[in-house]
Amino acid sequence: MAATMKLSTLGYAASMLSTGLLDEQFQKLLLLQDGSDPNFVVEIITLFCEDGERTIGELTKQLDKRCVNFDEVADFVHKLEGSSATVGAQRVKNACIQFLEFCKEKSRDGCLKTLDTLRVVFYDVSGKFKAMLQLEQQQAEATK
Amino acid sequence: MVSNTRGSPVKALLVEDIAVCTFILSTMLHKFNCEIVVVKNGKEAVNLFLDGKKFDIVLCDKDMPIMSGPKAVEKIRALGETGVKIVGVPADDNAMEAFMTAGADVFVHKPMKLETLGTMIQEVINKKNIMV
Repeated sequence: MAATMKLSTLGYAASMLSTGLLDEQFQKLLLLQDGSDPNFVVEIITLFCEDGERTIGELTKQLDKRCVNFDEVADFVHKLEGSSATVGAQRVKNACIQFLEFCKEKSRDGCLKTLDTLRVVFYDVSGKFKAMLQLEQQQAEATK
Repeated sequence: MVSNTRGSPVKALLVEDIAVCTFILSTMLHKFNCEIVVVKNGKEAVNLFLDGKKFDIVLCDKDMPIMSGPKAVEKIRALGETGVKIVGVPADDNAMEAFMTAGADVFVHKPMKLETLGTMIQEVINKKNIMV
């Protein structure tokens, strides 16, 4: 990706790596981007943010029900676990792992508490991802 | 580096319901010039085999709606599809036994490394070239 992303954007990604928001998997994703698909990272990040937001909305709805179906809740958490592991969103992945434990225990309180944590870490990552993409776009506009 | 000077492209079936994972694995498979078919659950995968479709490699998630990965693997093998390389690609740590008992050849935890996929694709190519 190095060839197609601006240095300032890479710097932003590096700070997310150094604070533990992202892990080395994100660096590997950057290396997958090449000339044949210059929007690869943008698309991945956008997909992750949109899907993640949708999943958190679903989790909120599911845990709001009178009778919680913990298997369905776990299915949604698994999806977010999978996507966060794949993009390198380490803290989101770890929150999902914790969440799944409470699903196994069928603990509504545990799930609700972990959902709060998950919401915070997810919006932290997605906010920073969006800022990174905006920076990238601004840089691209400036060099036109 | 994956080398396929002799044969046709590797036919890959990706069984995955998570959009981000599908996108990334498809990108990785394209880098190895694979022909890719994507389905979103185990039942769709099994249906492809029932329709007579052939694949060289199947990359399969574990938890999916309608039919799980291990269940799909079991049914694919029961159809007599013993030659296709099936790779379980789950997100969680506890999936290995389920996949291997079902008949998967290999188990690779998400996220899959490009080099790992490359090695598997090369093995498939080598096997295809021997059979030609």
